[in-house]
Amino acid sequence: MNDRKNVIRIALIAILISLLAGAVVILALGKNPLSAYYNLLQGCGLAPKAKYAGSKSQLADFSSFVDFWTPMIFAALSCAVAMKAGLFNIGISGQMLVAGFISSVTIGYSSLSAPVAKPLVILLSAAAGTAVGSLIGYLKYRFNINEVVSSIMLNYIASYVISFFINTFFVDPVSRQSRNIGDNARLTFHQINLGGIKYDLPIGFLLAVAAVIIIRFLLERTVLGYELRAVGLNRTASRYAGIRVGSSIVKSMAISGLLAGIAGATYYLGYFASIQPKTLVSVGYDSIAVCLLGNSDPAGILASSFLIDIITKGSTYMSSQAGLESEIAAVITGLILLASACSSYFLGLFIRGKEHRKSTVPTPARKKSAHKE
Amino acid sequence: MNIIHNIIIDGMSFALPLFIMAIGGIYSERSGITNLALEGLQGMGAFVGGLTAYCLTLYFGADSRIPYAAAMLCAMLGGAAYAALHGLLCIRFRANQVISGVVINILGMALTSFLTKTINRNVFGEASDKFILGVSACYTIPGLSKIPVLGAFFTNVYPFEPLILVIALIAWYFLYRTSFGLRLRACGDNPHAVDAAGGSVAATRFIAVMVSGALSGLAGICFAYSISGKFSSDIYVGYGYLAIAAYIFGNWNLLPSLAACLIFGFARSGGYQLVQQLGMPSSYSDLVMTLPYILTLFLLIFLSKNNQAPRALGEIYDKAKR
Repeated sequence: MNDRKNVIRIALIAILISLLAGAVVILALGKNPLSAYYNLLQGCGLAPKAKYAGSKSQLADFSSFVDFWTPMIFAALSCAVAMKAGLFNIGISGQMLVAGFISSVTIGYSSLSAPVAKPLVILLSAAAGTAVGSLIGYLKYRFNINEVVSSIMLNYIASYVISFFINTFFVDPVSRQSRNIGDNARLTFHQINLGGIKYDLPIGFLLAVAAVIIIRFLLERTVLGYELRAVGLNRTASRYAGIRVGSSIVKSMAISGLLAGIAGATYYLGYFASIQPKTLVSVGYDSIAVCLLGNSDPAGILASSFLIDIITKGSTYMSSQAGLESEIAAVITGLILLASACSSYFLGLFIRGKEHRKSTVPTPARKKSAHKE
Repeated sequence: MNIIHNIIIDGMSFALPLFIMAIGGIYSERSGITNLALEGLQGMGAFVGGLTAYCLTLYFGADSRIPYAAAMLCAMLGGAAYAALHGLLCIRFRANQVISGVVINILGMALTSFLTKTINRNVFGEASDKFILGVSACYTIPGLSKIPVLGAFFTNVYPFEPLILVIALIAWYFLYRTSFGLRLRACGDNPHAVDAAGGSVAATRFIAVMVSGALSGLAGICFAYSISGKFSSDIYVGYGYLAIAAYIFGNWNLLPSLAACLIFGFARSGGYQLVQQLGMPSSYSDLVMTLPYILTLFLLIFLSKNNQAPRALGEIYDKAKR
């Protein structure tokens, strides 16, 4: 229990340090960091703006924020499942793209009725993501290929191949993106008019909350989850304990891919309705930050994704209001990542500090030397 | 004839920067520090070099050679300085080395694009997300270039290509023929032995990571001067990961890695020539672009099984462990 407290403390420290560092940069550029950060909240509908256009309101901004938040939850969960098994899924963007593309061209452009099309989109995306994810797991298990390298190779292959198909067959000549999918297949009720104000209502968000609970149950309460965590902690010990390490690796990458696939569906067929060729979305990479910050724990991820997405989504509004480049959001996210990468070191410091305070007996000399270096 | 000429010229100008970056990766990994940060390091190097060249060009004029040379030097310094962060995280703060590498990449991408825009707006007063450098001039060596086929290796050579070969030679000498190189390689296989012999594992590893940063930075500015002719976020298209694949393919040794880089280079330029010669629409070049990546995957499938990574690679050095 104490451990969890420390983890939360570290996450908060990481955020605080990064926000402070960001504030220093903003100050150095001659802007007011407090108002810039307040702009972030305003951009996400968490604080009222000075004035709203005709069909906008604070709640509408918030609904759009939730729409943006949904894919991030799935992506970060995807990262977490792999991380628990000691794997690093950096191919989330690629898996999202593959899933989004396949369901866009098959169901997105079809004329199926909405109650059929929407579940099909989710199923198909999940299947596509699972396929890519388990391929990476299989390459690791069968051929000993580092999953980071293979997933990055697959990222680029997917990005270029899909860009070719979009530019050749599915391009919208005006926007230079893929043609918009039909509303029947879209996972967000886009610009729904309620009392003169237009909201974006994502179906995926309910799924995301359900996924948080399911993944948490899976990791903490099932044999599969136990095996995955054991493999992540010590591969050799797990093998001696009779766990089939290879199959655990493939399974965790398959689940990770499945979640990434749904993230792709909620992103490309929810928040957006089209795909920009030759672009891997930053959600896939930011999800790593979210996952690290949330200590790969589903509940922690829910909190940390909320926070990181405030910075990401609010940056557009901040950029227009404060005249700062919106890239500052990515810099702050990067700094949070940097700080949380050192978390185990800080955790060690905390625990050692506590031991130090508790111990009335002087520490034995051998232990001291072990701690020194 | 002309086609083969072009394939060789383009292939070499792509393969050599890749090779120098792979050497950087080998230095870091042979010392026991996993280095997925090459991508970010080359971007940071290109950014620092690009900024230097851009500023100096304003001062010395476009004809001067000084900005070019200064850009190379500053790119190496910038890459090394940024690599120090990776070293600090991995060695001092005991971070997971894979995570640290990815963090360095993400932060590098964010920082360079933010700084490029901010500096352009606040210093040069223009809204731009790039520093235009122009493509570096090429040289043809008289005489040697007249040799049939092989002459292509001496035609339209970028000035950085001989520089890279010289540095590669020096890097080879240091790694395999000096006591420092021996200690560095020992750090990757048996750090406790280095410690017992009185060497400092942390210092050796730190130097190795800095070297990998410097070499990656050089590679970055070479890409900026040859492929795109500018510094922008276009630099992040996975060259660093290709270099990683190259040295994994080369089993963490210099010469086989060079072979891998040459394969990547010629696959890429060969594909481009194919698209041009067959007169295919430009969208087909997207498919050609996948060639080096697909090739990498296949090579890894056939080679990874027998590969022997440095034994202590990725492990945080713990004196107390036996």
